[in-house]
Amino acid sequence: MIRNTRMKRFSIVSAVATVGALVFSTLPAQAATPGVSAKEIKLGYSGPLTGSAGLVYGKLPGAMKAYFDHINANGGVYGRKIKLVSRDDKYLPTLAATQTTNLVLNDKVFALVGALGTATHSKAYTAAQLAKNNVPDLFVNTGFSGFANKEKYPTTFTILPSYAMEAKIMAKFIKDTPTLAPQASFLIAQDDEFGVDGVNGFALAGHKFTAAPTLYPQGALTPALAEGALTKLSVVPGKPVLVLFGTTDSTATILKAAEKLSLTTKFNWIAGSVGGDANTLLALGVKPSTINGALAASFFPDAKDATDPYVSEFMEINSKYNKGVSFDNVVLQGMNSAMLTVQALRAAGKNLTRAGLISAIESKGADFASAGLVPLNYSGTSRVGYNGYWFGQLNEKGELKPFGGKLSIYTTDSSSNSAPTASSYERKPVPKNGVPTNS
Amino acid sequence: MLEFFTAVLTSLSTGAIYALMSTALVLVWRSTRVINFAQAGQAVLSTYIGYEVTTRSGSYWIGFIGAVLSGAIIGAGIDRFFMRPIFKRVKSGPIVMIAPVVATLGLLGIIQAIVGFVWGLNYLTIAAPVSTEGLKVFGSVIAFSPFNLMVLISVTLSMILLTILFQKTNLGLALRASAYSPEIAKLSGIKVEAIRTIGWALAGAAGGLAGMLYVPGSYLYPNSMEVLLVFGFIAAVIGGLDSLFGAVAGAMILGFAINFSTTYISYKLVFPTAFVILILVLLIKPGGVFSSKKGRKD
Amino acid sequence: MVKISTNRKRTLAFVLLGWVLLIISDRVGELRQYQGSFVAMYALAIASIILLTGYSGQLSLGHSALMAVGAYAGALSINNLKLHPALALIVAALIAGIFGLLLGFTVARLSGPYLAGTTLALAVSLPTVANQFPILGGEQGIIFDIGTPPSRFGEDFSQYKWFFWISALAALISIWMLSNLLASRYGRVFRALRDNSVAAQLSGINVGRLKAIAFSISSGIAGLAGGLLVMLISGVSPSAFPLSLSFALLTGAVVTGVYNLKGVMLGGLVLVAIPEIAESVVSRIGGSEGFTTTLPGFMVSALLILAVLFTPNGPGQLLHHHKKKH
Repeated sequence: MIRNTRMKRFSIVSAVATVGALVFSTLPAQAATPGVSAKEIKLGYSGPLTGSAGLVYGKLPGAMKAYFDHINANGGVYGRKIKLVSRDDKYLPTLAATQTTNLVLNDKVFALVGALGTATHSKAYTAAQLAKNNVPDLFVNTGFSGFANKEKYPTTFTILPSYAMEAKIMAKFIKDTPTLAPQASFLIAQDDEFGVDGVNGFALAGHKFTAAPTLYPQGALTPALAEGALTKLSVVPGKPVLVLFGTTDSTATILKAAEKLSLTTKFNWIAGSVGGDANTLLALGVKPSTINGALAASFFPDAKDATDPYVSEFMEINSKYNKGVSFDNVVLQGMNSAMLTVQALRAAGKNLTRAGLISAIESKGADFASAGLVPLNYSGTSRVGYNGYWFGQLNEKGELKPFGGKLSIYTTDSSSNSAPTASSYERKPVPKNGVPTNS
Repeated sequence: MLEFFTAVLTSLSTGAIYALMSTALVLVWRSTRVINFAQAGQAVLSTYIGYEVTTRSGSYWIGFIGAVLSGAIIGAGIDRFFMRPIFKRVKSGPIVMIAPVVATLGLLGIIQAIVGFVWGLNYLTIAAPVSTEGLKVFGSVIAFSPFNLMVLISVTLSMILLTILFQKTNLGLALRASAYSPEIAKLSGIKVEAIRTIGWALAGAAGGLAGMLYVPGSYLYPNSMEVLLVFGFIAAVIGGLDSLFGAVAGAMILGFAINFSTTYISYKLVFPTAFVILILVLLIKPGGVFSSKKGRKD
Repeated sequence: MVKISTNRKRTLAFVLLGWVLLIISDRVGELRQYQGSFVAMYALAIASIILLTGYSGQLSLGHSALMAVGAYAGALSINNLKLHPALALIVAALIAGIFGLLLGFTVARLSGPYLAGTTLALAVSLPTVANQFPILGGEQGIIFDIGTPPSRFGEDFSQYKWFFWISALAALISIWMLSNLLASRYGRVFRALRDNSVAAQLSGINVGRLKAIAFSISSGIAGLAGGLLVMLISGVSPSAFPLSLSFALLTGAVVTGVYNLKGVMLGGLVLVAIPEIAESVVSRIGGSEGFTTTLPGFMVSALLILAVLFTPNGPGQLLHHHKKKH
């Protein structure tokens, strides 16, 4: 006998349990439409909740859930309450693949909403067989233009304008602005699909930077590196344009390095839409005087602008259902996607099916109400959501006001080198009480 | 020229912080023969405590003391209540190398979860006690602030104190004896177990110190000390795990190598440089730059 | 009673296990098939650690990098060289093995923590290198498509079952080959290296060369596991091989016994099951958002510490002793 009988028991029990679990856990017969019952619609989210990416994007599912709670308190969608299941993938492709598969096979969600990350979601999409099971993949939270490819991702709808679009519009803005055009220009970007997409976008627009872009490994931009980069650029004459294409923490690190070296007024700062979140920058210790005058691209209204009807509506929902979480661009984005999701579910009708949801967005999605100040482009042939940007200037309070006083929206695409065009898009008014009533 | 000067200055600052982590790892290695991955967790927890004390008292220095003290207590506690039971069960063979590594990794995960739960999963900041603006030298601003100077002075002082402790005091003698030959030390009356705990306490204090010197230039979040741990370990190995001097030297070598290669070649070389330097050093001297097989020199 | 040699017994055991897995794969749902594939893949990766650490006494913190080498080799051979997926997996193992041989010779003189430090540095720097060369696909990586199940298996044969068959078969064959190797003279030689390298050298063993060989075989196995991993997530990218993967493999090896191969399946199961259990427990008890986000990590770490404390040599070691007594 094994001397340690406890060990032996443990081994036997665990072996039996394993075999038993494997043998007896066959799935029950598939429901007609998974994730939909008379009372409930189950949606799934896979993204980083912990880890360094979780620090930046962790607020997203909570914001979506808060909006869904608000809708549930107001009758739900044709009487069905929305339940959001979120799973943590720590921004790792392996976890994203297994968690998304879990969402589809284990939690049996009706659709995915807001999946985050390019390297992560592209793996998860195939691994979880979303195409084969026709699982709608709504409003993915990434600016990677590849997700709008209908052949590769038949059930996916993007929402964010791609990084390439952002770069093209930035390039046009630099060219059209007399104070910026003659200056030398430089780019500091994150060394992943985020930054590289941006680099490609500038290339498409024909913009040549004065020096090759500085690419830093994601999450590894130390103050030392930032100080070195800025010191190198400090000898360039004039007031060079410095484009920062990275997350808020990296943008903050660079700005704080500029403060240390007294270089804050040396450059014309242009922050990308992701890193230009003034609320977060100030919270990370950047001085108000530093961001004063910095330029940033955005497609949303300023998250600090309580006079904007969408922002104020979302702020109210946030304080009621998402207590303790400060309202910023990430929360705004989450609630906006949630509102679009509700409209899509309504448009698909009371007899809710996955195919029905997809065609509802194709036919009616372009007319949905959303906080974005740029148009939505869903159609039978296009899976592209927002496709434009406006340029603003930050002030000391961290408010983003339209550059030159007037809001100018430009739209473009991700892959051609045709110049962005001005748009006179006016968004739909916010639904009363933030509850859509479309059909 | 300015670039070179900047690279030297930032290397000094970076190297100083790595030196604290590598010293902590060497202290634990010499006393227990364990690669302590929980060091990142201990350091971050003591820094969060320092953050809490600083926020409540309004003074960085009181928080500083809090971090160092709590680091020492946590370090001692981990040795006494965590490592001892593990060593009781794991006596010989390669499991001795690998089980404590896994155990300290598990401890790291637990500490990170606790910290994330208590303080939340967002970036926190601690304001530096002195200015972080670059100093003006010959009319231009350099990448070296009074705070960077404070970091260098603190690290140097700590190293001097530790060296005095090890070389000139009875406690130091006992620490060195217990690490070099525990059986003989026991025979001469030294309480080896208690001495080992003191070694862990010193390492923990060094970790808390590292955190309070690192965070004002960066951010505080549950995973914030992980990269420091990796570089601290590589620095310790480069310097040879034998001596405090080696730990500091290794840290400086690593800091300079990384900053210079990223400044002059490419920003993407942060991690590959560490690997290349390490391999080069170990190919020439498999025990690290300042290791000596003959006798303990420090 | 017919005297069956231990080698035959071992082969029979593996064949039997293979049949059992085949039958099980038919009875369980797609999710379990998918999870089962990961179990097989992790079991294989843990086997590589057991060879390296349990048998030849070298501690590696960088097996995630070796898996990455195999993974990229496999992905490139499918995409660029247009090889058949089965060949791609073999290429993965070979390339990783060659890389491991070179690395093994380089680090043969290093002991304990120095080897650990070197492999740690490798683990954190190799993924960054993958980002540099456009042919490696950058951050987005390269697609690894093992293809759909052959049509003769019928319509109902799910992709996940196909993954499971490939994963389990690759793992079974490799671990069988490895256990044959370890039962042979090589196994004894490796253990001699581990236990007393001075004595080994005195008895004529070329320590450096054998350490490198052990490293090479271990890397080859890890490379194959890497190829399986990217098959399961349908693509390779640098972020699929973080340092935490190395640590997870070490943990799996310790929890299930680092001294012999018997526990590898359990080790793989632990790595897959414990996070799932933690998450389902957390979703059941609910709580504040901060609580539900951090609790799974806490539970996983706590369970691993308990496992190390209470089974430091793994249940496999105890069973082994039991056999010897009789």
